[in-house]
Amino acid sequence: MKAEMLQSGAGVKRQSLVAATPAYKTLGREQLISRLAMMAGANHLPAGMAALADYVGASHYLLARYDLIQEQGLDFVVSSNWPFDLVRRLSSDLANQHARSTELEKCLAVLQPNFALLPDDIDLPPGTSRQYCSLMFNVGRSRLSLLFLFDDGIILSQDRLRDVGLLAGYYSSFTRARDQRAERDFELTERELECLFWIAEGKTSDEIAMILGISRNTINNYITSVMRKTATKTRSEAIAYAVRNNLV
Amino acid sequence: MQRATSRSDLFPRLVTMQKAINARHFGVLRVSGSGLPSKRKLQCELENFGTGNGETALSIIDAYGEAMIEHIEKSMLPLMWNGREESHLAEAPDFSLFTVRLKGRVLPFSGVAFPVRLGAIGNGYILFTANYIDLSSDAVVDLHGKSCAVMMDLLALDERKSGPAETLSEREIACLQLAGDGRISEEIADKLGLSVHTVNAYLGSATIKLDSVNRIQAIAKAIRLGYIS
Repeated sequence: MKAEMLQSGAGVKRQSLVAATPAYKTLGREQLISRLAMMAGANHLPAGMAALADYVGASHYLLARYDLIQEQGLDFVVSSNWPFDLVRRLSSDLANQHARSTELEKCLAVLQPNFALLPDDIDLPPGTSRQYCSLMFNVGRSRLSLLFLFDDGIILSQDRLRDVGLLAGYYSSFTRARDQRAERDFELTERELECLFWIAEGKTSDEIAMILGISRNTINNYITSVMRKTATKTRSEAIAYAVRNNLV
Repeated sequence: MQRATSRSDLFPRLVTMQKAINARHFGVLRVSGSGLPSKRKLQCELENFGTGNGETALSIIDAYGEAMIEHIEKSMLPLMWNGREESHLAEAPDFSLFTVRLKGRVLPFSGVAFPVRLGAIGNGYILFTANYIDLSSDAVVDLHGKSCAVMMDLLALDERKSGPAETLSEREIACLQLAGDGRISEEIADKLGLSVHTVNAYLGSATIKLDSVNRIQAIAKAIRLGYIS
């Protein structure tokens, strides 16, 4: 009797799993791409991301942009259908995690699905797994990360995850290209960037003055203005900032 | 997928990719030099064009190098171009929305180039050329994914070869990190419980090890090499 009940319990569970895995299993990659193309035409970022989440069998997506992380905060979340409290609680963790890995590690992590656990004190929607999956990709100078939540007991397909990183990149490249707001590199001028570049190469103000054919004081003014715009306190910090953000 | 242990491991992989789309040749271009986009250049690192002195690769860079560098600064959509003859077409009918076209009729062959942007280092393109290219969207995604893997392997190989002659000590790294965070020597000394002179000595030795002329260049290099974040 007991065994039977267990069995039927398992049966129910299996059934609910089947019910919880909707159309995505049947949707092929080519179909997904044509669907994305349609949505990209309408310039609708959330719909595209939701379709990608669907394709890998995830319940929620979060698209974050890392290049602009200043300290902590939510500014870097581009699009998400995660519960707000979860985003708020996790965002500082994500920013910290990101700051801890080196540039080379980040470069070698592109498009590699990475699984991690959400902290224990976070409340999740019922039935959601504490494990989440993140994928990093770059669109131009922006480093983006796509994070997925999924239901307990669902196993995400590795192949599909890899596809999704690329497709998310295409989708955001496309929607951003249409978004005419060109990135102006933190509002730094060409001259300021040029100065930063030479400083990072170890040149002194005098040497840069010689290279660019302008006066030393002008160079120093440029650098002061860079430090003001980037909210950095020293020259070293300004250069570190520029290197971290791929400005030089 | 297993990481390549030498550049020669990449060759057969690239040939397989080339054959999968019936292309004639492949090329791996990397963005060299840092600094302003206008100062960056593409360099061919691997190819099988078989012409003397990499002429064909150079002709591609001549024709499209500038456009390619500009493109990789803002997008990861694949690039395609048509060749000089009417029949030299490169097409991806199901994928046309997500491809960007370069000016056609410049080169004696058509081609497709997959941009790979890894971050501050290791960026570039993997390209395939032929008289006629017709790609399904499946093939585009497959090849682009594999292109990323190849570029990552190439970067991992490079990093293994070139590390600084001497590795930095923990103290040197700590000082560099704090200096990069905007601390002056006095603050670093305070924080690490050292004298200012010791801190300056650490920063000085780190500068020498990183083959830099001053501490600012050392910080920039340390970030690029991954010693500090």
